[in-house]
This record gives sequence, C-alpha cells and structure tokens, in this order.
Amino acid sequence: MVDVSQHELVPDHSIVDEDVLDDVLEEYNIKKTDLPKIKRTDPATPDEAEVGDVIKIVRNSRTTDQAVVYRLVVS
Amino acid sequence: MTRANVTDDIEAIVEDTDLPRRLKDDVYSTIEERDVTVEEADQIAKAVQSRYQETRVDPLDPVGTVSAQSIGEPGTQMTMNTFHYAGVAEIDVTQGLPRLIELVDARKTPDTPMMTVHLEDEYATDREKAHEVVWKIEATRILALGDISTNVADMLVQIDLNEETLMERWPTVDQVEDVAEEIAETIESKLAVQTRQAGTMIEFGPEEPSYRDLLQLVEELREVVFKGIEDISRVVIRKEETDEGEEFVLYTEGSAFGDVLGIEGIDASRTTCNNIHEIYRNLGIEAARETLINETMHTLEEQGLDDVNIRHLMLVADIMTNRGEIESIGRHGISGNKESVLARAAYEVTVNHLLDAAIHGEVDVLEGVIENVIVGKPVQLGTGDVDLRMGASQD
Repeated sequence: MVDVSQHELVPDHSIVDEDVLDDVLEEYNIKKTDLPKIKRTDPATPDEAEVGDVIKIVRNSRTTDQAVVYRLVVS
Repeated sequence: MTRANVTDDIEAIVEDTDLPRRLKDDVYSTIEERDVTVEEADQIAKAVQSRYQETRVDPLDPVGTVSAQSIGEPGTQMTMNTFHYAGVAEIDVTQGLPRLIELVDARKTPDTPMMTVHLEDEYATDREKAHEVVWKIEATRILALGDISTNVADMLVQIDLNEETLMERWPTVDQVEDVAEEIAETIESKLAVQTRQAGTMIEFGPEEPSYRDLLQLVEELREVVFKGIEDISRVVIRKEETDEGEEFVLYTEGSAFGDVLGIEGIDASRTTCNNIHEIYRNLGIEAARETLINETMHTLEEQGLDDVNIRHLMLVADIMTNRGEIESIGRHGISGNKESVLARAAYEVTVNHLLDAAIHGEVDVLEGVIENVIVGKPVQLGTGDVDLRMGASQD
C-alpha cells in the first residue's frame, strides 16, 4: 500500500509519552477521554499505537504556523 | 535559531512574548526594516502582544453560534439551483448551496465525484507518458474500441475493433492481435460465452439461438470495462504552471481514490478527490478534516463569499471529525447525538425523542443552550455563566 504519511493532507502523527501526556492534560485541565478521538484502524495512526494511547498531531495551520492537537486512540 | 539581522536582546524579547510563530516572524521583519533600539523593540513586541490577546476569543464566547451565523448568512446568497458549469477542465462539479449541504450532511457519495490526479517525474512532463496513465484510469468500454453489429441470421455479435484506437490505448503492447486476444478473453470471462477471434474481428453468440439472448449479450457487452477503473467515466488532461515549470494534471469525472493511489506514475502525495469519505478511508481522519475545510472554503469562494473567516469552517470540520470518524451535522450526526433530551427534541422529530426519553427514564441536567431557552433559565454562556454574590461585610 501507499505510504499515507507522505501525502500532503496528512500531518505528522506521533505517540505521546505517558509523562508528557500528564503535563498536557494538566495544562488544559481535562481527562484523557475529553480529547478528540482517532480510530485504531485509521490509516494515519502509527502502527505501534494501541487503544488508550494519545497521538500528537502537528498540523500546518492556516491561522498559526503550526498547530498541535491531540487525539485519543479508540477502537 | 538565531537571526542575522537582530541582536540577541531583541530576539529574547520577541521570543518571550505569547505570540504564535507567524506573528513573531512579522514582528522580526518589521524590526529589521525600521532599525529600532532595544527599548522600541520591546514596545513593539508588547503592543503586538496586547493586540493579539485582545482579539482572542473570550472565555464563554458562543463560538458555535457565531460560526453558524457566519456561514448561514452568506449561505442565503448562494445559488439555489445546481448550475453545473464548465470550470476547470470542463468537468461538471456541483457547487453553491447544494455542495455546501452535501458537505455538512457528510453524504456517502457526492453528486459529482471528481479527482485531481497529479503525476510524478517524467509522467508529469511528457504528454505520451501522461496519456499512458490516462488509459490506466479511464474506463474503456467496447464502444470506444470499435463497432458492434448484430448478425441476426447467424445469431452472432460481431465486433470490428479499430486498430489505431487499440494501439493508442495499449501503448505497451506491440501487436494488435495480442490486444484483440486480450479483449476476446475478457469478453469470454465476463459474459461466459465462446468467442472466435481473427485479426481485429471478434464474434460470438448465445449458446441456443435466441433473439432475446442475442440482444441481452449486446447490452451486457456495452457495460464491460476492458481497461481502466469502472467508476471513472472521463479523464481530462491539462497542462498547468507550477513553480518548477509546467506539468500535466489529470481531472477525472467519477472517483476511485484508493485504486488510483497505487497506479504507477501517480504522485500519491498530492493527488486528491472531493469525496471526504474516500479521503477518510484512505488517508485518515486528519486528512478528511483538511479536505472538509478546503472544500467548504472553496465552495464559498466560488460564489464570491470569500470573506467568511476560515476559523468558522475549521470549527465545523473539527466538530465533524471529533469522534474519529466523519459525522454529519444534523439529526443523524452531531445534533442527534447530543446528551440533552430537550436539545434533541427541539431539533427534529420532537415526539419520538420525548417518547423514547420517557420510556428510558432519561434525565436532562439543563446545561446546554437550547434546554435553558426552553425552560426560560439564563443560558450558561458569557455573563450568564457567572454567579455574582454581594459580600456581607463592607470594608
């Protein structure tokens, strides 16, 4: 299959480490389940990601240069 | 990162502000142009920062409502009827209000699916090579290859293939006979008949002599796809200017995004289509969100409504992709999945929602906007969310 991450519409997806994640959740004062979701089967989800992991997505934003968002992996 | 034209002091000041990257860069370029002192640079940075913070959305601002109005008002000025037009490369594309509705409804297939196929390397610069890709994509049916005639006396369907067309559409095969053989084989497997092939002539007939079966075979023969992708009925090739010169770009009527990505010669990093579901299946939710924003903005721009702020469309796309899959805005999507019974009932099919809620003993905690409007309480937005109490003591 084609390498999805090479497509210009697909931003960088990477798995967030547990301790970094705690800082993020604390900053926004939310629970992990409040994050937007991404499917485990999503073509852009990193292969080693499991349900419950959080994916960090760095978009080229139209309004700021780069926007960082997080998505929780769900089944 | 150090900048050549500003001192470390100025850089420290600017980097210290609460500004996004792009604004910081703007501040740098202004400072570079004007040749300012460190104190002045500090003032500039402070002024930009306070202006930036002022223009941010306030806490408890009803951004969704503002977005709804900001997209809804221009929507009233859009063309109601689907005027298909010959725009880019003479391909009909649904536009205006019908297209916008299609997008927010997240229809499984758009009215007029299309793809923009970019090519890579020599395929993008050489017209012959580009055409090779066109023949791989465009569905080739029998009528494009030759003439069909029905011989009622002998109960035979006769095909007279056009030699030139065959050589053009199968550029990799040298012999016309080989192509004709391939076509005959395709017919045999698709229609389950025995064929006789000689040169560019192919003939076959029904097992038992039957006029009805004969006509039936001709009907089926017209639908058989000999080359290319079934869903793509037409491909238009266009030369376009880019930064690095000219390249050929293909526009297709009909889409099969997943199939096309794997074809040799196609640039799988730039090829797109206008079906958000196909993008979602092949590239994921983030790409689908991006396409949604692009498509909605493009639809508005086409109608001269380009002063709608992109942030509104981004918000819509964010909500539609929030659960990791594409949800429509409406009864079957976002509005239908709301927690509050009253909010759902206020939208559509009121009685059903109230009845179901009564049967299941649902509770409404009255947190949202609609519920509070219904019961006549202050909405928990803006100043409505703040409780003020007077202090008992005075000092």
